[in-house]
Amino acid sequence: MQRISHDERAALGLLGPLAVVLMAVTAFPILYSLWISLFAVNLRRPARQPFVGLDNYLHVLGDAQFLESVTRTAWFSAIAVLAVLVIATLVAILLDQEFPGRRILSACLLIPWAIPSVANGLMWKWIYDANYGALNGALMQLGFITQAQVWLGNANRTIPLIANAFIWKEVPLAAILLLVTLKSIPSDLYAAARVDGAPAWHRFVHVTLPAMRPGFLLVALYELLMAVRHFDLFSLLTEGGPGGASDVLAWRIYVETFRNLSFGTGAAMSYILAVATLAASYALIRSMAQRL
Amino acid sequence: MRADRLLARSSLSRRAVLSGGAAALALPFVPRAQAAEPINFATWSAAVDQVKAHLAAFTAKNGVDVAYSNSPFAQYRETMITKFTGGAPVDMLWVSDSWLPEFAQAGWLAPIDSFKNLTAYNAGTSDFCNQSMMYDGKQYGLTYYTDYMGFLYNADILAQAGFTKPPESWDEVTSMASAIKAKGLLDYPVVFGMAQESWMIEFISAMVYSHGGRLIDDAGTAVLQDGKSGAVSTLNWLVDAVGKHKILSPGCVTTGELEVLKTASAGKAAFVLLPKYRLRVLNDPAQSSVAGKFRQALMPMGAGGSHSTVGWMRFYGMTPRAVANAERGQNTAKLIEWFGGKADGDYRFQKTVLKDLALGFGVKALYDDAEVRASLGSYGDVDLMAQQQTLAHKKDTIAPWFGEWNDSFGTAWQQAITGKTSVEAALKLSATKWAELKKAG
Repeated sequence: MQRISHDERAALGLLGPLAVVLMAVTAFPILYSLWISLFAVNLRRPARQPFVGLDNYLHVLGDAQFLESVTRTAWFSAIAVLAVLVIATLVAILLDQEFPGRRILSACLLIPWAIPSVANGLMWKWIYDANYGALNGALMQLGFITQAQVWLGNANRTIPLIANAFIWKEVPLAAILLLVTLKSIPSDLYAAARVDGAPAWHRFVHVTLPAMRPGFLLVALYELLMAVRHFDLFSLLTEGGPGGASDVLAWRIYVETFRNLSFGTGAAMSYILAVATLAASYALIRSMAQRL
Repeated sequence: MRADRLLARSSLSRRAVLSGGAAALALPFVPRAQAAEPINFATWSAAVDQVKAHLAAFTAKNGVDVAYSNSPFAQYRETMITKFTGGAPVDMLWVSDSWLPEFAQAGWLAPIDSFKNLTAYNAGTSDFCNQSMMYDGKQYGLTYYTDYMGFLYNADILAQAGFTKPPESWDEVTSMASAIKAKGLLDYPVVFGMAQESWMIEFISAMVYSHGGRLIDDAGTAVLQDGKSGAVSTLNWLVDAVGKHKILSPGCVTTGELEVLKTASAGKAAFVLLPKYRLRVLNDPAQSSVAGKFRQALMPMGAGGSHSTVGWMRFYGMTPRAVANAERGQNTAKLIEWFGGKADGDYRFQKTVLKDLALGFGVKALYDDAEVRASLGSYGDVDLMAQQQTLAHKKDTIAPWFGEWNDSFGTAWQQAITGKTSVEAALKLSATKWAELKKAG
């Protein structure tokens, strides 16, 4: 029998309490929410919470409103992730160049990222407001419109406009991550391409973009996770409206759990969201990792 | 006696120090007379300074300590439910009429009927207030504040458009707003909040009542889909105001109560629906660019309707924990009366929150109080305020499943207003959802 060394005992003693705390605050809620997803838990009826097995999952998967919110979430995530990738790439390339004021620009770029989510949401609510919003004011003063536009109140515009607010906040971090990837590309690759007579565009397509794949994978994965479970902007800007036009998964889970007090179905929705996110992340990693 | 011996010695012996130390260590385990536990009082984060001052006066007079806590209104319902289900000590709390059936059915609130010092106030209180605190034949509280949805107008804009009187009916609202728009005074003279927020049901209920209708009848059955219910004509009016007459912005579906207030304060509205107490802000030069120009009118009438509006209640409730102990129950009832009834022979707290925050009251006699009249009269017509209050009715949608129903109800109305569905389909959907939830209990 192998004896535990003094150092190992010390490590166990020091890390053990922390591990217990982590288990208590992370593992326990995760497992407990899985447990209650198998019961008809509604806080309006605290005395009546029967075991229902997988009924909550079946009910949720057969609920048209839930399935519509899945579609909306996918639409929002697709817009948000693609736009963040494209804009962050352009910003990273810009910041990789030497020009006067580059450092100041880099610092300014981080401002949206540093703004708290709630402040960001309230700021965009004010910008988009149809009655006294800054966007209408600016467009009218510039002569682009003659009458105030209804931005978030137009159901066709709601998701793209919320995505815009999300993108504004997310681009800085993505740009910094991609900039780090750009800086790590060996300069001799470009030198070799130049020797071969490759013009700038070819160097970008055949050297820069392939070398940035690890950065793209990281950013795409992170932004996908952020977008799928995003809640703040939907809560602050539209509360799922107008007419359910921004009723995405995270909002639906909140409404089901905390407004309807139906913790059983709310937990089931959360698990479906978690599994779907895991599957999407796995597919993304597989598809991009194969090209690395 | 040990104390005598200790005092008799010139210095402490080792034995005395040890025994004293042991006694000190054992002190927490020795049974002793416990200090009375304070009354635990929870509110949302409003009138905090006024509440603290009034609590201090209560403790000074009665010698009963109160542990006061508050949390933001937006999270208050969830916070209280978490406290109740987690077994946190709560004896007294602010309750919205919207949550009463839910809280009472779950056993989180206790009736106050057995406390005659509290029910004695019912006779002098507006009917809708008393009704709003009743569930299943029992009364669950005493007024914190009450108010109703008021129809407010910018008299200056009306005068510029050539109108000397406010509209009497919803048809007149349409024609006057159209005239204001035609003169180029405002793009959207009517500013109503139809965003998915807690105020939406009050905006809609006020309009439905003034159209002579109901959303839910006395038997608890949804009637909003009925052509004669008033809900059909209300929603048709809203749809036409947005789509046909263009006097109400399509952005109303993302406009909340606070945005209505801001828009009106900026002089960008001729007609608004707002809680009556907002009139003070609108006529306050420090907070409004159109101070002195906003007036209140009776709620416009729909065809076959009246000047009725909706009223709501926020009240002091008591928990089963408080009444489980006779002394605690009595002290809690005393505290409820101190706030919701008279304190030292006067409605002190009602007057304080009226003067400081413009919050309304349920005690009818206060409309004759000189101090109250002076306060209300500084920004509005007191007699008209009192008259409108007599025409206020409680929300008829309050049921244990209200929260869940209200979510789909708001979505359906927004879909009709934005043209995604018809008026009939939206109301039928809301009625069906109500029936489903009622059946589920």
